[in-house]
Amino acid sequence: MPVPLDRRLVVVTGKGGTGKSSISAALALAAARRGKKVLVCEVVAKERVADLFGRPPSGTEIRQLLPNLYSVHVRPREAMREYALMILKYQTLYRLAFENAAARYFLAAAPSLAEIVMLGKVFWHAARETERGRLRWDMVVLDAPATGHGLTFLSVPEVFLRLVSEGPLARDMRMMQALLADPERCSICIVTLPEEMPANEAIELDRALRQRQFPAGPLFLNAVFESRFSPQEVASVTRGGPLLTAAGEAADNHESRAALCIHYEGVLRDTVPRHLVKVPFLFERSFGAHAIEKVSRVIEGAL
Amino acid sequence: MKPLDGRKIVCCVGSGGVGKTTTAAALALSAAMEGKRALVLTIDPARRLANSLGLKALGNAETRIDAAHFADAKLTARGEMWAMMLNLKRSWDELVRRNARTAEQAQAILDNKLYQTLSTAMAGSLEYIAMEKVLELYSSGRFDVVVLDTPPTSNALDFLHAPDRVLDVLDNNAMRIVLGPMLKAGKLGLRLLAAPSGLVLRTLARFTGSDFLRDLAAFMMAFEGMYEGFKERAANVKALLSSPQTGFVLVTSPNPLTTQEALFFHRALERDGIRTAAVVVNRVQRDPRRHGGPDNLAALEEALQLAQIKDENRLAERLCETLTEQAILADLDRREIERLRDMLRGVPLFTVPRLRKDVHDLAGLWQIGEYLGGD
Repeated sequence: MPVPLDRRLVVVTGKGGTGKSSISAALALAAARRGKKVLVCEVVAKERVADLFGRPPSGTEIRQLLPNLYSVHVRPREAMREYALMILKYQTLYRLAFENAAARYFLAAAPSLAEIVMLGKVFWHAARETERGRLRWDMVVLDAPATGHGLTFLSVPEVFLRLVSEGPLARDMRMMQALLADPERCSICIVTLPEEMPANEAIELDRALRQRQFPAGPLFLNAVFESRFSPQEVASVTRGGPLLTAAGEAADNHESRAALCIHYEGVLRDTVPRHLVKVPFLFERSFGAHAIEKVSRVIEGAL
Repeated sequence: MKPLDGRKIVCCVGSGGVGKTTTAAALALSAAMEGKRALVLTIDPARRLANSLGLKALGNAETRIDAAHFADAKLTARGEMWAMMLNLKRSWDELVRRNARTAEQAQAILDNKLYQTLSTAMAGSLEYIAMEKVLELYSSGRFDVVVLDTPPTSNALDFLHAPDRVLDVLDNNAMRIVLGPMLKAGKLGLRLLAAPSGLVLRTLARFTGSDFLRDLAAFMMAFEGMYEGFKERAANVKALLSSPQTGFVLVTSPNPLTTQEALFFHRALERDGIRTAAVVVNRVQRDPRRHGGPDNLAALEEALQLAQIKDENRLAERLCETLTEQAILADLDRREIERLRDMLRGVPLFTVPRLRKDVHDLAGLWQIGEYLGGD
């Protein structure tokens, strides 16, 4: 089975608006089709994956979207509560410790506590076993926050462990750190677009991820326009008189976008040492299950 | 009607990758062209903006764009255009130094592990220091207009509530009580107590370990006496955010994901009694059908024949497909813009078409400025 479809934890990172959720959904679908039981964890403010499959939002409860394919929305407040209760066991103790003015301060001051509990929750899913001792999920896909936050997110265990070295959270963070660093079990993918800022961010993100030795998954170049006309064709149609003005402009637009795609593909191939997977731009009036299916086939073919 | 509309401080907000930095620079340029002393304050470390302004790099100090560079773009500015890049860490450090009573106190804070996390990682800290810098620059009286390009990851609430959140962290009596024994030990010159005492403290320590609580206590002690100064500044920052001289410009693309974010920001502003100054929709697909002409296969084949262009390698078919695709994109954009207009009734909305190339010089910025009513 191709990387990253054979990994236990697949993290999908990238700049906001590059299509992380679609790629996460497509990767999950590709794995599910191969008989894997897959859970997509969304940690961003608003969940999208269920909607992409035409399903109502899953919320903080795991919901099935398709055979073998499930999703859950991990939110900081609920994750914090569940996590605290798991460790503290007693509701009253939780309330006493967490639902007071001091805790509000504490939660704001503790380094990225929200991220820590969310990552902790994802880890819990990834490590969860059934009664018979088998892993509950063959694959967990983490739809990570946008670049800046994404990198912060993945560095949370390290930052946290620098400040805190004891206690149950520290123990879990250490295990999460080990999972995130293990190329046998984890793959960290980057999604980008053939545009200047997303491409630059992907290059920086790749460098930062490799520096921290996170296992490097594929780079998905999303929304690609393939060249369709020769320069001569564009020139002759553009000069072809008023009847062809619209067609000429459309051809010229298409080629200018295709040229940008070729340019940034070249830049990315030169600077990012990862398997590059091109995902074509999809002209859909509404982007739903049908489009995800297409993307997942393209990805499967390319991996 | 222009996005600035006489405002002195403009914050460009929106999700990342929608052309926020470029829009901010274009707005400052428009103001400079009209005779204002305008400054664009960016957080984007990309070199592109610096290059497009004829600078090698942007630094933490204000730099004026020289006349020669304007001349290259065949522009004459009646005013002045300045640019700078905000260095977050350094700006926080400066703020601490300014407010500390002694150099030793400043150093104690700057060295604290927790301070380093708070100043760079805490939600709202970026937004707070950006507004603090705007206040400083604006109060200097050297600029008529300050345009802020906000951090890409900002969300509206981080922005609006940053002053409160920062104050909340710096002064919390409840925490003072909880940490009481540790603080007292520190004040008496004893080493901070090894083990936190009290039920709440012990429970929290089970989560984070007691080192963290010790750092916290040390941080609070170091901060002693500085709170009042911070409180006053934060109150000014807060007042600035809701002042009628300040305007929020929502920058978006016609992508539903980014318009959603813009609407979310708009509603958050509304809840705080702040009006949105304008919406700028970048990268709008132009509809090739506005030229008229054939758009089905048979008619295109005929048009090619009339123009004596050979229909080689299914040229007509490819043209037809391309026209259809771009019509779809234009329809989607139009629908989204209408929806936005509808939801933001009364807010001026500007659209900027998708440009053939990335903006990389003053002339390009000016071209955008013209779509923003700067002609």
